[in-house]
Amino acid sequence: MRFWKRASRPEPSGEGGQVSGRPAAEQGRGRQTSEQAPRETVGSAIKEFIYGMAAHDMARFALKTRSSMEHLFILITMGDLLGVPILPPYYSLRLLPYVVPQISTWKRRMLREKDLTDAIY
Amino acid sequence: MNSALALVLSLAAGLFTYHVYARYVDQRIIQADARRATPARLYMDGVDFMPTSKHVLFGYQFKSIAALGPVTGPIIAMQWGWLPAFLWVILGTMFIGWVQDYTSCMIGVRNEGQTFGALSYRLISPRGRITLLAFIFFYLILIVAAFGKIVGDMMAAVPSVPVAIVALVVVGLGAGYLIYRKHADIVYTTLGMVVLALLAIWLGTGVPIKASPMTWVIFALAFSYAGAVLPIWLYGQPINYISFYLVFLGMIGAGIGVFVGHPTFTIPAFTKWTIPLGPIWPLLFVTVACGAISGWHSLVSSSGSARQLEKETDARYVGAGAMISEMVLATLSIIIAAATFASFKDYGAALAKGPAYIFATGMSGLLNFLGISQEFGKAFAGAMYVILAITVMQLVLRVARLSTTELLGDYIPIMRNMYVTAALVAIICWALIATGTWQYIWTLFGGSNQLMAALALMLVSIWLKQTGRNWHFTFWPMLFMFATTVCALVLTGIKLFRAPALLLAGKIKPPAGQTVAMAIGGNYVSGVIAFLLVLAALVLVVDGLRVFFAARPSAEAGATQASSTAD
Repeated sequence: MRFWKRASRPEPSGEGGQVSGRPAAEQGRGRQTSEQAPRETVGSAIKEFIYGMAAHDMARFALKTRSSMEHLFILITMGDLLGVPILPPYYSLRLLPYVVPQISTWKRRMLREKDLTDAIY
Repeated sequence: MNSALALVLSLAAGLFTYHVYARYVDQRIIQADARRATPARLYMDGVDFMPTSKHVLFGYQFKSIAALGPVTGPIIAMQWGWLPAFLWVILGTMFIGWVQDYTSCMIGVRNEGQTFGALSYRLISPRGRITLLAFIFFYLILIVAAFGKIVGDMMAAVPSVPVAIVALVVVGLGAGYLIYRKHADIVYTTLGMVVLALLAIWLGTGVPIKASPMTWVIFALAFSYAGAVLPIWLYGQPINYISFYLVFLGMIGAGIGVFVGHPTFTIPAFTKWTIPLGPIWPLLFVTVACGAISGWHSLVSSSGSARQLEKETDARYVGAGAMISEMVLATLSIIIAAATFASFKDYGAALAKGPAYIFATGMSGLLNFLGISQEFGKAFAGAMYVILAITVMQLVLRVARLSTTELLGDYIPIMRNMYVTAALVAIICWALIATGTWQYIWTLFGGSNQLMAALALMLVSIWLKQTGRNWHFTFWPMLFMFATTVCALVLTGIKLFRAPALLLAGKIKPPAGQTVAMAIGGNYVSGVIAFLLVLAALVLVVDGLRVFFAARPSAEAGATQASSTAD
């Protein structure tokens, strides 16, 4: 069961640019705005509350672990984008189609300032 | 006072705060707008920034903030009588606590999900970031020391708890193996393992294990060390997952027990202005931290929840709602401490065994109203208390290990080894516990926690003023918290520096299990930490106030105002 919702496109203010690294078609499939969401019941709210208390941090950590592995992979293949050439460009180009969807979020995550409070939650 | 009435009053105050004051701040001052894109929607990366249901976030926030603080602080504060602690929990939450949690969340939401380090760099000064991070590092060490000491006392005072904890570890590891490796059904696995854990606690009542508090402190630190160095999915998470259900059951059981048994408070409403711990102001306000206001919450709000809010309008439900729920938990703790013992003298005798012992005794009394035996109730409550502490200790030791590597890894190569850094942090914590006096360690932890809250409120005040919003509702609480906690830490620091002379003169005795030399060393180390915390806070506040008074409203507020008017 997925308790998180995939976001709709941002407001037209345009700040921040692309919402996610996933292709637009994929984003479209998963779109579920709060207006479209089914009416929530007390039961579903309690279920979500218990999930939030018991397992949400586990789910987040699993996502973080996967993300770290993906970052390592993209750093090796696309390190040139950050000025760290690791693979010869030939291989980078061959792998480019596979990582294109993630490049935007990857760069944002790599370049975002982090400190020890990030490690807490 | 009747305990059921106290709980009802607390609930009523919470509802009033949420529906009146919090609504006013949310709609009129912050002007939360459901249509404004949050960082979770703007920067969704599937990891940190992820739009999440507000109910999930409420549970996540509540679980992250409700640890040992709201339970232990009120129990210790009963030394002044129940009324001061009760009033501080209610009024503190109503006017300061939820304000801090909610605004910490909103400052993150309106600033692209930046952490406090980045915000203090941008809003205050470059050295603001370094000072804040150094401050947080010391604060984390104090959390482990304070919680570790209390766990040690608890496991020594209630000998049926150790078996329960060991069993819980085994059950938790089993749950992790089944869920992660065997892909077993999570519902059945959870049910089975929780039943097994309860059975183990019951069996543990027949197998008491006695050892000194220090032995159990080392056990708790070793447990947390394993949590800090082993893969988190393998060890820490499955144990915490099963533990959560026990804590949840205990909280619900205690709440029902209050209404079924509705015991009357037996300790006086007020004892005296000054007790051995110190005067009511400022010491009460740092002794009861998390139930009224806590800096830890601001870290959770800014780094965790702010990046997951789907809509700005969810912030009140998540930030303020979770804090108000914690106020109810702190009230439950006040009830446990105030209604358990026959007299104030009995409470004092029990406090000598540690606040954890009082919690176990009081909680078992409440569970007894539901027909659960005192013996099982005590073991269950003891296990619940240890779980609350150890969960946070593991997390904090892990973070402290990471930050030590970040801080020293470039200069001292061995500090890149996680086993070394985790051991180093654990040894520092052990040394603090072994040489310190628990009430002072708790005061230092409470003081640093409240100072963190004041610093969070200061960041928010600067942001509010810079964006042209009403800043009074955060600025005055910030000044109050800052003055109170600095005075509390200075008072504690002076006492700690005076103690060695008294120890040498034989006017006071070292705590049980310590030599005079150890106690002197511990007093000096704790005293130095107290003054370092004050120094760091002073630097931040002086820089912060300078920026605050120089701040002029920028365009952002005007834009928000215009957008709000256009709506």
